[in-house]
Amino acid sequence: MENRVSPRLLSINLHLVIPDVFADNDVAGSQIWLCDFSFERGQHYLVEAASGSGKSSMCSFIYNSRRDYRGTLSYDDRDARSLKPDEVSMLRTRYISLLPQELRLFGEITAGDNVRLKNKLTGYCSESDIAAMFERLGIADKIDCPASQLSIGQMQRVALIRALCQPFDFLLLDEPVSHLDGTNNAIAGELVFEAATRQGSSVIATSVGNNLILPTDDIKHVKL
Amino acid sequence: MISSLLRKNISKWQLAAYSSACFVGLTILLTSLCFYRDISAAHQSSSNSGYIVLSKPVPLLAALNPGNSAASTFTRSEIDDLISQPWARQVGEFTPADFNISASVDFAGRGLSTALFFEALPDRFIDIDLDPDVWSFSEGHTSIPIIVPRDYLSLYNFGFAASRGMPQVSEELVMQIPLRIAMSGNGFYDVMPARIVGLSSRINTIAVPESFMSWANERYSEKHPSQHHPSRLIVELVTPGDPAIDKWLSDNDIEASHDGSASDRTVFVATIISSVVGIIGIIIAALAVMLLLVSLFLLIQKNSDKIRDLTLLGYRRSKVGEFYYKLVITINTIITIGASAATIFASHLWQKPLEAIGSEPSDRWTVVISAFVVMGVVTAVSVAACRRMINSASR
Repeated sequence: MENRVSPRLLSINLHLVIPDVFADNDVAGSQIWLCDFSFERGQHYLVEAASGSGKSSMCSFIYNSRRDYRGTLSYDDRDARSLKPDEVSMLRTRYISLLPQELRLFGEITAGDNVRLKNKLTGYCSESDIAAMFERLGIADKIDCPASQLSIGQMQRVALIRALCQPFDFLLLDEPVSHLDGTNNAIAGELVFEAATRQGSSVIATSVGNNLILPTDDIKHVKL
Repeated sequence: MISSLLRKNISKWQLAAYSSACFVGLTILLTSLCFYRDISAAHQSSSNSGYIVLSKPVPLLAALNPGNSAASTFTRSEIDDLISQPWARQVGEFTPADFNISASVDFAGRGLSTALFFEALPDRFIDIDLDPDVWSFSEGHTSIPIIVPRDYLSLYNFGFAASRGMPQVSEELVMQIPLRIAMSGNGFYDVMPARIVGLSSRINTIAVPESFMSWANERYSEKHPSQHHPSRLIVELVTPGDPAIDKWLSDNDIEASHDGSASDRTVFVATIISSVVGIIGIIIAALAVMLLLVSLFLLIQKNSDKIRDLTLLGYRRSKVGEFYYKLVITINTIITIGASAATIFASHLWQKPLEAIGSEPSDRWTVVISAFVVMGVVTAVSVAACRRMINSASR
């Protein structure tokens, strides 16, 4: 895997952001909604919250796939709403990677092709890098299986590998280990941590209880 | 890899239905266009058609009052009205000679002499391809070029010569005969040599160049040039056989002489038929295009999750759309080539009869280019619609 050249995205800033649907809700106690909060590059975050408190919404806002919020979200100094479609595409292939909670794999193609579909866009990993990640996560035998035939835990690992097939400054993981056992959670945590460390990037993981196990203590816990 | 993902939901039946309907519509449209062009070309190849000569009916008492010819001449406002008619492409005025003319010829050992008349009309209405040096006159020119109707020669050969025991003459010979023209009036009398330079099927008069006529009228006529009103007009028609022409003529009490009326009418009817058929072709093709747009809409709807997921992965919309654009462009290119080939094949059905009457078929490239222009527009519209649908699907 190659290291990406600068310029880099240094911070994601949320200023008084709140989802439109939460406008009338009481969000007291949240460190993000209706607050000034910045995700800084190089720092890892664990965003903990109960179900329905807007974790996936936050990921979508940061990933620029939804804009139904109030307040201002910016990438360094650039307002997120001002990005044009092609700039959003670039954001998603060079600066921010997302593992969505609903995984969004294409069921009709193989697990390997799901990963290659992303890698073809970024050219970030070699075929052997991809095979090695499948191997480490214990799903090497599933690489040629249609994604629709995988268990949810296997799908989660395939989606994680796909998220790692690009350069990033921030890796957004929306409940990445909700269906993994402790062993696979630890392996996933190692893979993620290695990729982030190599690039000097941040991991932002959300969780409703089953936390991603990152092999470091330098994690900022944030309450949503 | 994207195309293998997006290909899954394609309905082959819908695309086949679009392809065949669009092929049929486009073929009908092109065939009617090709037919119309061939018919027009065949019609124009006969030089009489497309032109009429207009005159006013001679009043009953005109013979009693020979000096007053005003009733049978055209006024300026009548000519302007004629020019403004949509079926008239251009109008030319016949200028009559307002002096005495007689011609004499030494022919077959006998001297023949006859009183004569001249008329002049604009060069663009003359159906003979003449060298400008030949068909012109300036003071100092020693010879007057003349065009006579081909019918006059026939009248002489088959009427006069046969009954009088005179020799028949060919067209080539008649152009070699030296004529002497005597002109008088306004106190002048001159004799000038003249020569027949051509025989016309369209112009039913003895024609001289306009430049000669204006010189001669100035010299021999006692009237001022502004007093000359044309008594006959020649009109080039936009739509020969158009019933509006007959209506205008009868409304204004004007007579028309032209040979082409029957064939004009036939071509007019053929034009209407090919227009109707062409419109049917357009309707079929338009319905087919709507079918294509609906099919694309359904296809993109079915794939909207995939399109959204691909853009979430970071694929550009244009990259996602590429699959659909290529699909539309490929299908439309095949349809265009197929319909052009079918039209050219169909045109052989009427090409033989038209060739038999001496008409060259029109240029087939025009048909092919029209096909590509029409389908280019259809493709552009479809691709633009696709883009909009993909943009909204990926939002």
